[in-house]
Amino acid sequence: MGILSKKFLILVGLAILLAFLISFPFFATDYWMTLLILILIYTVYASGWNLFSGLTGYTNFGLAWFIGVSGYVSSILIADYQWPWLFAWPMGALFISLVSIAVGYILLRIKGVYFAISMVALTEGTRELFGTGYLEPITHGGKGLPFVAGIPLSTLYWSILFLAFVTIFICYKITSSKFGLQLMAIREDEQAAETLGINTTKAKILAFTLSSFLVGLGGAIHCTYQNYIDPNYAFNIQLTLTPIVMTLFGGIGTVFGPVLGATLFTFIHEILWAELTLLYMAIFGGILMVLILFFPQGLLGWMKRRGILPKIRKI
Amino acid sequence: MGEAILKVDQVVKRFGEVVALDHCSFDIEKGSITGLIGPNGAGKTTLFNLITGILQPDEGRIFFKGEEITRKKPYEIARMGIGRTYQIIRIFPKMTLLENLLVVGREKGKAVVEKAYELLHRVRLYEKKDEDASDLSFGQQKLLSLAQVLMLDSELILLDEPAAGINPTLQNELMELIHQLNEEGKTFVIVEHDMKVIMNHCQKAIALNYGQKIAEGSCSVILKDETLLEHYFGR
Repeated sequence: MGILSKKFLILVGLAILLAFLISFPFFATDYWMTLLILILIYTVYASGWNLFSGLTGYTNFGLAWFIGVSGYVSSILIADYQWPWLFAWPMGALFISLVSIAVGYILLRIKGVYFAISMVALTEGTRELFGTGYLEPITHGGKGLPFVAGIPLSTLYWSILFLAFVTIFICYKITSSKFGLQLMAIREDEQAAETLGINTTKAKILAFTLSSFLVGLGGAIHCTYQNYIDPNYAFNIQLTLTPIVMTLFGGIGTVFGPVLGATLFTFIHEILWAELTLLYMAIFGGILMVLILFFPQGLLGWMKRRGILPKIRKI
Repeated sequence: MGEAILKVDQVVKRFGEVVALDHCSFDIEKGSITGLIGPNGAGKTTLFNLITGILQPDEGRIFFKGEEITRKKPYEIARMGIGRTYQIIRIFPKMTLLENLLVVGREKGKAVVEKAYELLHRVRLYEKKDEDASDLSFGQQKLLSLAQVLMLDSELILLDEPAAGINPTLQNELMELIHQLNEEGKTFVIVEHDMKVIMNHCQKAIALNYGQKIAEGSCSVILKDETLLEHYFGR
């Protein structure tokens, strides 16, 4: 008994959850499918954001930039070059990762609000650029690009489910690793970390790039799911803000906080929107304010502090 | 004089109009404990920042074990074997004591954990290993900070006011540890305002004022130096 049986129970619980999620398309209605797809997309966004910003303390306000650029590259490959979605998605993610290495090299020297604003400017600038006549032959300009990827809803669901699992697994591994500790040391005191032999520039760029890859992959799937892309949609500031709020809600810097945040947030959003369409934004705002005031470490952080969950990095 | 582990050669650092260090040169002997003294603004912390690569000198060169480190990055210098602590403690507050050490160690697998445990025992903080570093007292944080440096196996350790602001018991514990480490072969440079600490613990002292070295020698000699006393105590 004791620790072994507890571990066993957790594993059994996870196996049942996994079996349920994988078999979901066989019994679920389209409504539930779309809701779960949305939860999984936002799980990837929130976890991906948290992986870099939650650990390093560099607040990235350019999540929509990751999503938009990768979404555009993959959508154009599918629509104009007839690439199969399976190859177009990773290509979009790969493209944004490479650009992120260059951008990270330049922008990760600046801290705090300056870094945050730079990422907003980068996102807005790219949005403008993608909508101009100059790039219209490639991006189709401001009128957008509708397309059909020919992917069944169930396959799309399994794809995003797989990505969400991979993302959570990577976050789990990193947060409880030496690399994760290095990222946290950067958040705590970057200069001290540097004089203790940590190559902070390398660690930051690596985390930033990994975050861009995972979020970019999510963005590519998101655009395929919507069958449409245009600059205002792909680089929308909401795509940056929502995952950040979800992460704060669930627990910043933790492994499962963003997952919890994305899930609960999407549900609450859905219920409020369906039941109280006119008031939902106001009620939503109220809930958020209460959470930020009374649970600054998020739900997971609060549960860890109260001893409901063990205070370990693996959760 | 024995072999020099650190060589500072004609180093100049300016901040705009202010000359923080003005053609400053000295050697640190391997295996010694050297005090670095001087009034506020004399350039002591700037010197530490130059040695550890946080700042770049405008002129002059710095050598560690015969190799030039002047343009190297802070993490490279740290890995070569120069460790430092800060005047204002700079540990990682929202990480546990154990994590504070693990993040620094460069060994793989179990070896790094064992080393961290050993050092936590050494600074008598093992019992608190899973607590956040922010929960420690000021003095204990200084000990943790020194343990972090030891994780790197630094041969040369720069301490910025190690004894300031901590109770006498902990202060003794800290100085005792420094002497033990010194006997094990580590070299120390200590910035300290408390002259008693310098007198009791350092074999040699270097005095700075207005970025210039104004005196150098054994502690008993240097503390009788007229120019120094004048600068230091405004006499």
